[in-house]
Amino acid sequence: MNSTGKPEFSGLDRRGFLAGAATLAAVTALPLRAQGDTTLRIGFISPRSGPLAAFGQGDDFVIAQVRAAVAGGIEIAGTTYTVEIIDRDTQSDPSRAAQLANDLINNEGVDLMLASSTPETINPVADSCEAAGVPCLSTVMPWEAWYFGRGAKPDEPSPFKWSYHFGFGVGEFAKAYITQWNLIETNRKVGVLYPNDADGNAVRAMLAPQLADAGFEIVDPGAFENLTVDYSAQIRAFKEAGVEIINSFALPPDFAAFWRQAAQQGLLKDIKIGQVAKTGLFPSDIEAMGSLGPGLSSAAYWHRDMPYSSPVTGQSAEALAAGYEAETGTQWVQSLGASTALFDVGIAALTASAAPKDKAAVAAAIAGLRTDTIGGVVDFTAGPVPNVAHGPLVGTQWVEGTGAWPIDYVVTENTTDPNLPVVGTLHAYNE
Amino acid sequence: MIDVVVQGVLLGGYYAILAAGLAFLYSVMGLFNLAHGSFAVLAAYFVVMLCDALGLDPFLAIALVVLALGVIGVVVERLVFEPSTRGGPLLSVLATFGLSVVLDNAMFQVFGANTRSLAPYIGDLSWASWELGDLYVGKLAVITLVAAVAVLGGLHLFLTHTGLGRAIRATAQDADTAGLVGIDPRRARTIAAAIAFMTIGLAGAALGMRATFTPYSGTPQLLFAFQAAVIGGSNSIWGTLIGGIVLGLSQTIGAEISTQGFFIAGNLVFFAVLFARLYGGSLRLPALILKRKV
Repeated sequence: MNSTGKPEFSGLDRRGFLAGAATLAAVTALPLRAQGDTTLRIGFISPRSGPLAAFGQGDDFVIAQVRAAVAGGIEIAGTTYTVEIIDRDTQSDPSRAAQLANDLINNEGVDLMLASSTPETINPVADSCEAAGVPCLSTVMPWEAWYFGRGAKPDEPSPFKWSYHFGFGVGEFAKAYITQWNLIETNRKVGVLYPNDADGNAVRAMLAPQLADAGFEIVDPGAFENLTVDYSAQIRAFKEAGVEIINSFALPPDFAAFWRQAAQQGLLKDIKIGQVAKTGLFPSDIEAMGSLGPGLSSAAYWHRDMPYSSPVTGQSAEALAAGYEAETGTQWVQSLGASTALFDVGIAALTASAAPKDKAAVAAAIAGLRTDTIGGVVDFTAGPVPNVAHGPLVGTQWVEGTGAWPIDYVVTENTTDPNLPVVGTLHAYNE
Repeated sequence: MIDVVVQGVLLGGYYAILAAGLAFLYSVMGLFNLAHGSFAVLAAYFVVMLCDALGLDPFLAIALVVLALGVIGVVVERLVFEPSTRGGPLLSVLATFGLSVVLDNAMFQVFGANTRSLAPYIGDLSWASWELGDLYVGKLAVITLVAAVAVLGGLHLFLTHTGLGRAIRATAQDADTAGLVGIDPRRARTIAAAIAFMTIGLAGAALGMRATFTPYSGTPQLLFAFQAAVIGGSNSIWGTLIGGIVLGLSQTIGAEISTQGFFIAGNLVFFAVLFARLYGGSLRLPALILKRKV
């Protein structure tokens, strides 16, 4: 610090410079606390480069839409506030996510923090906000990993005062999968590819028993390490058991390696449903699979067919997806809706608080919030646990494209969001 | 059990081709190229670009990319390897590490975050197989293994039976003395780098066809290449093939015992070989090891 200041303050000694800098810092910090400040600062943290970058690929577009929508300011309790969105990229690094959150809190003085996509992004940001007393909203990760993964205990009061999360959980996975797998005739034997990581162990412990209760026989060859290159052991186990359904929570490159080897080893000709999570969320994942891609099933947390609109931008789900395709020339991705919904909830919370510069009031407003978003209603008063609101997860299938794109993403079941039209019929993978 | 062994050997073929460039650069220059994996990913992107934008036949594209990587090898040798090796082995490790970080992020800027693969361009080759009774043998895996044998065998013959190969070995052993007998050490090193990078081009193509990649896929590939190269030892370039197969076999056998055992078995074999070498006293600088080369 002092060395960079030297050329400009060459007349000052070090102590004088530091004293001056401290005064300056105090003076510039003052307006943030002043009563008359009418700028709302919203921090937005997501992974836009690094291995998780596919989740953040729509964020530039979404933020531009939201900035345009709030350019004239928003009126809360008779005062018009200007809205400043400060967006940051975690580069898919959890420790950088925490750093960015601390920087936004301490140096940018954000009034509300938003964080999107994966535990690696959200949990460190939520923890920083919890420690600093800044309201934080997040979406797109199983809520169990957010709530229990950060130290909350079942049957105890929520330890969180400032952080809130909305979206799907293991329960939504179970509902979507069970409905989806009952759509076609199978022998109900499910080969599971659950790796040895946070998500894999969580689904092994929480999802697999629910699937077994629904009458599916789970064939689990055991946990494996991420980035495993060869899956012949798993494939042999699946062939011996004669599975017709496969459920994978492996990382995208691992699933691609597994699926190709499964085709090579003659396993896929018996597979009727290939249900994937963690991969298969975005068209690029499926296109990279070549001729093995179409027919894979996935589960979507947002879809362009959803009959909802964003209260912030006024856009419908369809308009958001179409606008993205027109502007970027690439196929729509479901993260567009999730990020827009995050702003919908965030601005609804600021409005509901009536005192958006008062962090405690904003946090209290979130706890009692029930609002429309581009992804449907988000209701914090009816969540599975305190601080959490449910969100949908619907069964989908990737099929050969009929329109502008080589593949289409169609909804095949809607148990967790009956408003979403089911336009596709699940067809067997091997047909 | 036959299946386990067959899959392990085929996997070893992939590791061998992945490790060829790394082992070659190390044995002839004493240089650990930590950007090895990133360059393989870059080569894979080049192939995708040629197939995607120009609609080239994928195998023609691979041939062009192998040549292009050779040119890149020359540039990297002159701009990075040569200046950094003058500063000692640590500096060259740091320089190639830096290069890999720059390359990964540059690829992210240019190609974006999306998962890519060569599978869409090669029809069903990425998963086609020959059925031998109960045994399924992947066509691509066999092609990769054959390519690995050809590349490593070719390199071995080149180093042992050609004038240029001898010049490269002489330069590696003692550049100053090689210069005294009329070898241009700079030229020898440049050619060695070009050859090493051409094998990286093939490794990238193998990666792109058998799996998917993103700009950040290079590091795990480097790790496997490193393990295969170390297990193989730098006594002979042939050792890399053995190293790859030993690594592949130990991983598939490990996975057969327990699915968690895939990496553990590979790492155990890696450490066992490393310690055996340390205590056997044969782990030396490459220049010393080269003396025992055929």
